[in-house]
Amino acid sequence: MIKIKALNNNNRMSTQELLQTIYDRIEEGETEFEIEACGQHDIGGAIWSKVDKPLSFRIKNPGQRVGAMGMDGVKIVVEGSAPADIGWLNSGAQIVVKGDAGDTAAHCAAGGKIYVSGRVGTRSGALMKHDPKFEPPQFWVLKNTGSFSFEFMGGGIAVICGYGCDESESVLGNRSCVGMVGGTVYVRGNVSGLASCVQQVKLDKFDKDFLKSGMVEFLKEIEKPELEGELLEFSNWTKIIPLPKEQKEQKLPVAEFKKTEWFEGGLFGDLVEDNGEVFKLAQTGEARLRKPVWNPEKCIGCDLCFNNCPNRAITKEDLKYVCADNKCIGCGICAAVCPRNAWDMINA
Amino acid sequence: MCRIGAIKSKNKLHPSIALKLMRSQQEGHDDSGFAFVMQDMGGLFENYKDLPLLSMAATVEGTRLAEDILREIGFTRVMQWSPNINHQKGLKIEAMPNYMFEVVQYPKSYRHATKEEKEELLIDTAIRLRKTLEETNSGFIYSFWPDTLTLKEIGSPKDIGTYFDLWEGNKDLTSSIITAQCRQNTNYDIVRYAAHPFFLEGYTGLVNGENTFYEKNKYYQQRLYKGYMGFESDSQCLLYTLHYIHKILKWPIQYFKHTITPLGYDEIIKREDSEILLRIKASLAHLEINGPNTLLAVTPEKELICVCDSKKLRPIVIGRDKDTVIMTSEVVGINDLLPERGISQDIYPTEHETVIVKDDLTVERWQQ
Amino acid sequence: MAAVKINELHKNDLPWIIEYDESKCIQCGKCVAACSFNAIKPEVETRKSNSITSKNKPEKVLVIKQNISLENYCHGCGMCANVCPNGAIRAIRNKDDKYSVAYRANKADSFKKGGRSNLNTEGRTLDKIKIGRISQMTDPSLDATRHTFELKTPFGRVLSPEKLNLESREGKLFETKTLPPNRWIYPVIFGDMSIGAVSWRMWEAMAIATAYLNEVMGIPIRMCTGEGGIPTRLLKSRYVKYMILQIASGHFGWNRIIKSMPEMTEDPAGILIKIGQGAKPGDGGLLLASKVARYVQEIRGVPKADLLSPPTHQGLYSIEESVQKMFLSMNAAFKFKVPVAIKVAASATSVSVYNNLLRDPYNIVGGFFIDGLAAGTGAAHEISLNHTGHPITSKLRDCYLAAVHQGRQGEIPLFAGGGLGQTGSFAADAFKLICLGANGVFTGRMLMEIAGCVGSDTGKCNACNTGLCPAGIATQDSCLAKRLDVDKVAQNLVNYILATDIELKKLMAPVGCSTLPIGRSDALITVDKHISNRLDIQYSC
Repeated sequence: MIKIKALNNNNRMSTQELLQTIYDRIEEGETEFEIEACGQHDIGGAIWSKVDKPLSFRIKNPGQRVGAMGMDGVKIVVEGSAPADIGWLNSGAQIVVKGDAGDTAAHCAAGGKIYVSGRVGTRSGALMKHDPKFEPPQFWVLKNTGSFSFEFMGGGIAVICGYGCDESESVLGNRSCVGMVGGTVYVRGNVSGLASCVQQVKLDKFDKDFLKSGMVEFLKEIEKPELEGELLEFSNWTKIIPLPKEQKEQKLPVAEFKKTEWFEGGLFGDLVEDNGEVFKLAQTGEARLRKPVWNPEKCIGCDLCFNNCPNRAITKEDLKYVCADNKCIGCGICAAVCPRNAWDMINA
Repeated sequence: MCRIGAIKSKNKLHPSIALKLMRSQQEGHDDSGFAFVMQDMGGLFENYKDLPLLSMAATVEGTRLAEDILREIGFTRVMQWSPNINHQKGLKIEAMPNYMFEVVQYPKSYRHATKEEKEELLIDTAIRLRKTLEETNSGFIYSFWPDTLTLKEIGSPKDIGTYFDLWEGNKDLTSSIITAQCRQNTNYDIVRYAAHPFFLEGYTGLVNGENTFYEKNKYYQQRLYKGYMGFESDSQCLLYTLHYIHKILKWPIQYFKHTITPLGYDEIIKREDSEILLRIKASLAHLEINGPNTLLAVTPEKELICVCDSKKLRPIVIGRDKDTVIMTSEVVGINDLLPERGISQDIYPTEHETVIVKDDLTVERWQQ
Repeated sequence: MAAVKINELHKNDLPWIIEYDESKCIQCGKCVAACSFNAIKPEVETRKSNSITSKNKPEKVLVIKQNISLENYCHGCGMCANVCPNGAIRAIRNKDDKYSVAYRANKADSFKKGGRSNLNTEGRTLDKIKIGRISQMTDPSLDATRHTFELKTPFGRVLSPEKLNLESREGKLFETKTLPPNRWIYPVIFGDMSIGAVSWRMWEAMAIATAYLNEVMGIPIRMCTGEGGIPTRLLKSRYVKYMILQIASGHFGWNRIIKSMPEMTEDPAGILIKIGQGAKPGDGGLLLASKVARYVQEIRGVPKADLLSPPTHQGLYSIEESVQKMFLSMNAAFKFKVPVAIKVAASATSVSVYNNLLRDPYNIVGGFFIDGLAAGTGAAHEISLNHTGHPITSKLRDCYLAAVHQGRQGEIPLFAGGGLGQTGSFAADAFKLICLGANGVFTGRMLMEIAGCVGSDTGKCNACNTGLCPAGIATQDSCLAKRLDVDKVAQNLVNYILATDIELKKLMAPVGCSTLPIGRSDALITVDKHISNRLDIQYSC
């Protein structure tokens, strides 16, 4: 075991100096570290043991990103509280914080276990993920989270125990789980202001078994085994999972709104004759812009109109030509082909 | 990013405590400056609480110009103090030739003046001093107000501490409120005025973050009050807004939060006070901020205030024991100074919260 | 008949030439039947074969031909091509068009049209502005689809905080006097198009879309009625609260509004006093007799005749008078509970108007709408459309900076319109104007385009004035108006606003804004030095 003190008299080791010291000792085969830090970042992250024994860190007063990119076979215990980003991109380490953790705890964690025996800050659990080739990440918090927690969560398991938060309006803060597409958040206590893309449902047997076994280990690590009974009272627990895609809101068609909410007969129903029919271009009947009128005095009965009407709208009865309004589109071909101008096109 | 801290205590504290508060947070800033404001002075300044205290850094010429102006207006010197300068080689600091902290007596004609008249004189004098030093490029006026001392410098906080001999505590330079910031300034030019904390008429403000509504804020503020000047830093706007809401409009401090980060319309209309909140949201739209900001402030009532932006994008934590309350960016700073406190009493302010530390150190948490 | 004399009108003088492929034509007549301008006709051509035979009789062939006439000529609307099953016919733009010369030379009258200016020689300022402040580390960008945004803007008089006269009691603020009406609305307003200028179907589609967006989607969009009255049914319904009633110099339709007042259960969203419009500043409204249908006569209380709104309100000959008389009357009419705004054309004098209004001692000026020269209109003299007015961008900016200069920005909300979306990016135009100081924007043009308007900025169709709108939008002809599918148009209007909403967020997000960036000109940059100087925004290259 090696002890490192990062502040000696007035001289503070920089993050690089401290980490370099740790790397050097690991190369030498050291596995146990006790670090009295002074705000240095990234302690315990992205390192692995060089001997056949796991690495362990006991840290006081760390800076941000404790255990960032933490790896399998690494155990980190923070005595007291830690600032932002503990367990950032955790890939396998076990990180225990004996106090509170700052903002964005467990951000992007995709492996390992993060145990916090107090609160965690805003945006904690954001973008947690689960690579199916490995065990899912676990993120256990004894008390509550700040707002915007579990934003864009893609996988993994979070357990927020809500201990001592009975008065709290939401143990997940406000606007939790925005954009969450995967994973599970188990929560004990009140939740409000949840995003619309998730659902809060009851626990099933699998969930309870998971919580039972996990809780024992969690409480052991944070040294609060006496809470087991209280926290495993399942009536206060729910879980939050993403809504399936098909359950996301369907929009009401405007035509439906018009049918049920709008004026009967239309806004202009008392002012304009309009049955709502939509005219096509070049439609027959009332939709015609122009229509033909036959002038018997000029007609010589040559049948050119009768023969050339594209819609067979003109019929001949007793030497009279008649145009059927329900067939005529008002194209004026009858008038154009007539050698005597016996058809006039007039505005409809 | 900068790192900020505010300490309020029942005891009188030396600025060494601010250096120690910020030391462990060093990787959170760029090691480019250190500044602090002390209020409710003790030590050498204990007996001059009602008299104006000028804090300035200047050239020899600047010092002379300032003295001339003060004399011309009728101020008379009561007491002067200068820090012990350590001229050790290799310190990372861009020092000014003179640092002057001078207590003055009001002009005779102000002997029976009201508080307001005196305050008016102080702000007018401060503006005149500042303009004169600016025109002649001969120095900086940081504060001119009773019971308030300001020091700002460019360089490494550690070396600035050494240069001014601030690492070792003493009983001469003490106060019950100290606000401090590491990092020279924001994203604009390196100017001493751009370093937090900013001070105006009893209000001190320091901010971690980027006020993205800076231009909007500035356009609006520059005509609101003569003391709103400089705008070297986007964070200054937040102090001016606080001053405007609390001192000029005389609104309760809670409405500062409603001004800088008004609730959404949909939230407001569900509330009983929706009419008022919508009016404020519209009338003060140009003082809204929409970026990441955590503000710490001190009011003339000697209260500490902490307010975050509406998304709570920047870190802040408040730790306390029976004698002292500390607000700072990272918990590690508090751990250094108050290791024995009960951490379950720590406060992590939320996006809707205004935390107020009263003069008797009781803490009020007010939800928007 | 083809012209045979030089001084007669020739086919080559017309703005559009019909290209007809006889070999593809099946003589179904649909193109002719569909043409609302009566610009084409079937005709029998007499032809003779070139071969020399003993029996070489002339042959008669049926073809489609273009009318060569000052009245019935092709506007290039393209309906013939749309309806032709074989692609046998289409209109081709005539580069050597002499129509407008011929029109004036023959009619001794100025040429009128609808739509908007077709003289696009200025280049578009808004397209030379980019949204340059994208948060890169300094402050976090947001996620446009998953984060929350507030797209709402105040409409109505905003008082400076001192003038709110709030009283502080036990740590809370209370009102001490009645404050002027102020509402929070969506930053896009459906621009004022009157019943008469557009068909009843078009108007109803806009009204339905407005109601739907408010009640189903929770988007508080407002529609301005235009100056042509409002159906009594609407006035007495709950939907009137989404309507901004317009009064212009003709005061058309106000008799029915006044008569309905006792039965109105909701206040309207606002009143808009129209002084001028961007498309033809200094001109009054114009509704040609062909569009004054029976119901339009009824609502407006006029006979079938050309309806000319005077260029100015009779009785408003100074800014002070307009404030004191018009604003006061309109405020009084709705018991000082409804915001009253004014709309002027962007012009050299619009900033003076705004400066004057800003003083507003009675707190009755609820908004200032400025309409730029690329705006649309139902009918105007071409000379006005093409040669009068002022682009919107610098004028809007001038007004905002004038307010800044007085320390009164935001007190009288600014709304800008006129040619937004001209180059296909309505949301970007809106966003940029908001950054330059607008509280919101208004548009009529986009609504037309969404509804199926075939017109363009380069002379296509632009025949709104004729009443022969082939899309059923700007017409009162029963056959044409009924071409418009109310359900479909209402749905499309709704969809377009939903898309715009996404796009506005898509611009707010990278700038890191979750609320409207009103006046955030630091978010903009321009690649043009002159624009940079003029608008006081950053120049970048």
